[in-house]
Amino acid sequence: MRDVLETLERWAADGTPVAIATVVGTERSAPRDPGAVLAVSAGGDVAGSVTGGCVEPAVYGEARDVLAGGAPRLKTYGIADDEAFEVGLPCGGTVHIFVDRLDPGLVAPIAEAVRDERPIALEIKISGEDAGAKRLVGPGDDGPTGELLARGETGIVETPEGQVFVSSFAPRPNMYVFGAVDHAAAVATIGRYLGYRVTVCDARAKFVTRERFPDVDELVVEWPDRFLRSAPVDERTVICVLTHDHKFDVPALKVALETPAGYIGAMGARRTNEERAGRLRAEGVSEEDIARIHAPIGLKIGSRTPEEVAIAVAAQIVQVLRSPKPASEEVAAR
Amino acid sequence: MNPADVLVEAGRLAAARKPYVLATVVNVVRPASARRGDRALVMPDGRVSGWIGGACSEPAVVREALQALADGEARVARMEGDCGSEGVVEVLIEPVLPAPLLTIVGESPAARTLAALACTVGWRVRDDHVEGADAVVVATMGHGDEELLAGALSSGAGYVGLVASAKRAASVLAELRARGLDEEAVLRVRAPAGLDLGPSSQEEIAVAILAELVAWRHTRGDSPFAAPTEAVDPVCGMTVAIGPGTEQTVHEGVTVAFCSARCRARFEAEPARYSGLRAP
Repeated sequence: MRDVLETLERWAADGTPVAIATVVGTERSAPRDPGAVLAVSAGGDVAGSVTGGCVEPAVYGEARDVLAGGAPRLKTYGIADDEAFEVGLPCGGTVHIFVDRLDPGLVAPIAEAVRDERPIALEIKISGEDAGAKRLVGPGDDGPTGELLARGETGIVETPEGQVFVSSFAPRPNMYVFGAVDHAAAVATIGRYLGYRVTVCDARAKFVTRERFPDVDELVVEWPDRFLRSAPVDERTVICVLTHDHKFDVPALKVALETPAGYIGAMGARRTNEERAGRLRAEGVSEEDIARIHAPIGLKIGSRTPEEVAIAVAAQIVQVLRSPKPASEEVAAR
Repeated sequence: MNPADVLVEAGRLAAARKPYVLATVVNVVRPASARRGDRALVMPDGRVSGWIGGACSEPAVVREALQALADGEARVARMEGDCGSEGVVEVLIEPVLPAPLLTIVGESPAARTLAALACTVGWRVRDDHVEGADAVVVATMGHGDEELLAGALSSGAGYVGLVASAKRAASVLAELRARGLDEEAVLRVRAPAGLDLGPSSQEEIAVAILAELVAWRHTRGDSPFAAPTEAVDPVCGMTVAIGPGTEQTVHEGVTVAFCSARCRARFEAEPARYSGLRAP
């Protein structure tokens, strides 16, 4: 829904009635994940998508019907492969889409929370008597919705009164990039594509400039280890140590290893890495902790330019954070 | 062509996305016919425009240049004593290869993110025809994948990938086989496209595909140019790259290559004296 919030705010400001179709579940492969929204205004304008074009015409029809006074409804576009082309979802997957009206009063609080990077969740009752009922939930909630929100996840919660779809608007996870080197700009750019809130931090003020880093969310002039002691870190946090100067990197890695960060990577050729590991050992860091560091940073795909290195780093971040077990350093092409 | 004109021509070639090598004399120990700052362009067919020294250094520079085109790496070539009276000439050899061209067919969030990311690594991106593309990624979510893949496979693209679930990928490949495509062609399709990074969002799929494209580019040697065929000049002993402009003669049914017309003339005057040195 993030991608259509601006449009929804504008429609809400105009007082235009709006219907939204929300992907509440997918089976096998689907072009868009749960939480994706197609919004239709009373004027017939459209924003967003639920499948990337496959079933939009049918969903648009349902939304128009809801706007004309029809009841909220849960539609399933589930496709046997041989019928795929006829129905329009040739991906061979199934999507469950809930279509109902959107109370304009709900839009502003969601948009504000997203802008301020505060967690908020939208509950939509999708079955039972009061299907279509909605409620906003903040981070204080101690029920199942609060649990989903804390993990930044979107999905269906079963309650005695029926199913509730929870759309989580968690703040973007943090990516901390230490070392305002050329590779940092490339890593920061791709980090933003992956949905991270990117901070570049370096103690050397002359390198930490907007000219060098036009794309990042925050630039910090500070020793990385000092910065990291007060920065928020959770399991979704990514830490990239790119300075390859032990003076900065060793203290930064030492603090990083005390956090629950989901990914810690460090740049440097093999000798630099061995030397760095030796210094960490001398500082009393355990072998187990040193093994958490992905070094040399990035999957081995033969990268040469900083931009190619950034792709290798991004691919490794995805692999590590998506994988329940320790990831291997090398992936073969499928 | 003087050194300034060489740079103008280099700019023109780069703008036209033509491959070339810029060779610049960076150091000279006299006696040598080249001066520091002399420049020349070497084209993929071995043609030279500009001045980087005479018959002695030029064949060696061409040889290094063609190797640089093949492996994509810049280098400094040091030439000393190749031709008796010459001193030492060091030449910086910089291959300039046009950015690879990626065609992405189809409208999907993964396709849009892939297009944006590919631009950040310096690839050129198109969304229409596959002709001339180095790599083709089909991401239509099922609208005519088979035709597009068949077209991409016959277009000469080195990388052909399909964005799909493993299940749908298998059925598309089966359909290609049913349509009579040979197995070798079908096996060239990367399906699903991208490194296997685990269950992924649309943005993450784009990263997985681009990582695979970077790996593919570097494992195929970064360059559509093969390393040059080389031979040893039997007169002066210099290794020369064989191209359209190479001085050659046929002696006893075997082609012999030379660094210059002068060596060729000396060979032709006394073939018996040099033929023992002939390279295979």
